[in-house]
Amino acid sequence: MYEASIRKPLVTGNKTITDISDDICRPIENKPTKLWYLGFTISFIFLGIMGVSLAWTTWEGIGTWGVNKTIMWGWDITNFVFWVGIGHAGTLISAILLLFRQKWRMAINRSAEAMTIFAVMCAAIFPLFHMGRVWLGYWPLPLPNAFGSLWVNFNSPLLWDVFAISTYFSVSLLFWYLGLIPDIATVRDRATTKARKFWYGFFAMGWDGSARTWHRYEVVSLILAGVSTPLVLSVHTIVSFDFATSVIPGWHTTIFPPYFVAGAIFSGFGMVLTLLVIARSVLKLTDYITVEHLEAMTKVVMLTGSMVGLAYLTEFFIAQYSGVEYEQYAFLNRATGPYWWAYWTMMTCNLLAPQVFWFKWARTTPWFIFIMSIVVNIGMWFERFVIIVTSLHRDYLPSSWAMYSPTITEVGIFLGTMGLFFTCFFLFSKYLPVVNMSEMKSIVKSRE
Amino acid sequence: MLDKNLIVGVYDNEDNLMSTVGRLRKKGVEIFDCFTPYPVHNLDKEMGIKRSNLTVGAFICGSLGFLSGTLLQFYMMTNHLGTFKSWPMNIGGKPMDYLMLPSMMPVMFELTILFTAFGIGILFFIRSRMIHGKIAAILDPRQTQDRLLIAIEPGHLGISRDELNQILKEEGAIELRERKDGEQVVINV
Repeated sequence: MYEASIRKPLVTGNKTITDISDDICRPIENKPTKLWYLGFTISFIFLGIMGVSLAWTTWEGIGTWGVNKTIMWGWDITNFVFWVGIGHAGTLISAILLLFRQKWRMAINRSAEAMTIFAVMCAAIFPLFHMGRVWLGYWPLPLPNAFGSLWVNFNSPLLWDVFAISTYFSVSLLFWYLGLIPDIATVRDRATTKARKFWYGFFAMGWDGSARTWHRYEVVSLILAGVSTPLVLSVHTIVSFDFATSVIPGWHTTIFPPYFVAGAIFSGFGMVLTLLVIARSVLKLTDYITVEHLEAMTKVVMLTGSMVGLAYLTEFFIAQYSGVEYEQYAFLNRATGPYWWAYWTMMTCNLLAPQVFWFKWARTTPWFIFIMSIVVNIGMWFERFVIIVTSLHRDYLPSSWAMYSPTITEVGIFLGTMGLFFTCFFLFSKYLPVVNMSEMKSIVKSRE
Repeated sequence: MLDKNLIVGVYDNEDNLMSTVGRLRKKGVEIFDCFTPYPVHNLDKEMGIKRSNLTVGAFICGSLGFLSGTLLQFYMMTNHLGTFKSWPMNIGGKPMDYLMLPSMMPVMFELTILFTAFGIGILFFIRSRMIHGKIAAILDPRQTQDRLLIAIEPGHLGISRDELNQILKEEGAIELRERKDGEQVVINV
């Protein structure tokens, strides 16, 4: 096999292909650790908080939220965009890096794709409940007039979003599941209990690793990667259209689509790093998800962070240069108005903080990467908050100027989606192989 | 596949499997299939598997998706689709004819992607005869872990059995087996 001497090995510890199955199936085949139970319980409690908050919202109405007539999209669309953005890293890793033949993606694509799916689930909750009557949540579907709703409006970017997000979710799920099938078959053939044999056998769909099936499988993977790449770019482009097609100063800019896509990948990688820095040591996967992998991801973080930083500066400059008073005011107000702290948090976390990754030490020190990933998550949440709240709170009419602060219910829903996300991730790490075994086997240098 | 009689060579190394396949193909032996725990690069070419036509299926499904997106939106938003009258909604006096084409693009695009992805996924499962709950016809429980298998039908050999056993052994097979009437026996050579 060809080995480039300038690249470090993707798998360390002289692993054989037998070791890969043993190491990666270990969490599935053994009882979970105390740490797993602790993490799962905490996440589950937060999931419960979400249940209570959503029940209260449904029972009492949107009045339980802090949104008002001026700032009609508060935390809820902030969180929606935040979660959708988180999802983008998974597709970038599994689809775009596959097209670019980046082999380091193989150790992390499974867990990143899982994050995509869980994040989109969290995201969907917000617009669904913001509609007020969640039991009529099927109304954005193109149903005939007789179903209660009238025809949907295809001129609206909000409807495009319905199509984009649901396509994104289903295609990501398919891509993820397809990647899982050979590994589920591995777990099936190692199974020692009847239940495991049955369930993994059921989901393995009779996979036998035939060369003919592998051939078709690779064709399908490539096509799915090929369609997922424009899909992931389109999803956040359309999310940005929710803002960019309006006439609100601060939103009405053509820079939004690329800026949102870069931001999405930036925040997604932030979350992937947060989870993987922890998961690799808890699940004892440091030989598979090596410091090399973390370093590669921090480079993406630095690049995309600089791209959003450039976008912040560009939109600020263009607003002043445009000569449009409303635009000029909107941006000056962001930086110096009542929400200045949010703006400067965003600037510090997204533009300045990732620049530390120019230093090798910062890119290769896991605990530091973990802290930085939290900073990125905070920064990107604030970006959406700044875009939504500061643009809305100063209307064209000074009489409708208002301020916004979230209520306990909104905080509960947001923390609850964190609970949902982590609950799903804990279950995933217990029941499915967190690293793509079949792909890892194809890249190990040493064989039995 | 469960009822076929097969000669099975077990390997623990992809290079040995590849060279066996190459040598057997040169001798004109028809290889029934190989079973590997991971996609072995170029094994399909070495075995002479023709490039899959699934890509054509994907294109057709994608075109269907594009067509559905177009028809769906033209039907709902305009009165221009044949003689159908769908009672479209006048929303703020915005165009209700082909002029709204730009705002139809996103949904056309998304449906194209959706149909392509699910189309090729479903076609793949059909073509590979995979379905939930299917009992896998595995020859060795380790073929999804760390063993690579080559399977040859005794009826399609073209060379003598001894020669075949010799080649498999020479190329580093760690075990030879024969499956007859659903029973596998290890052959000692």
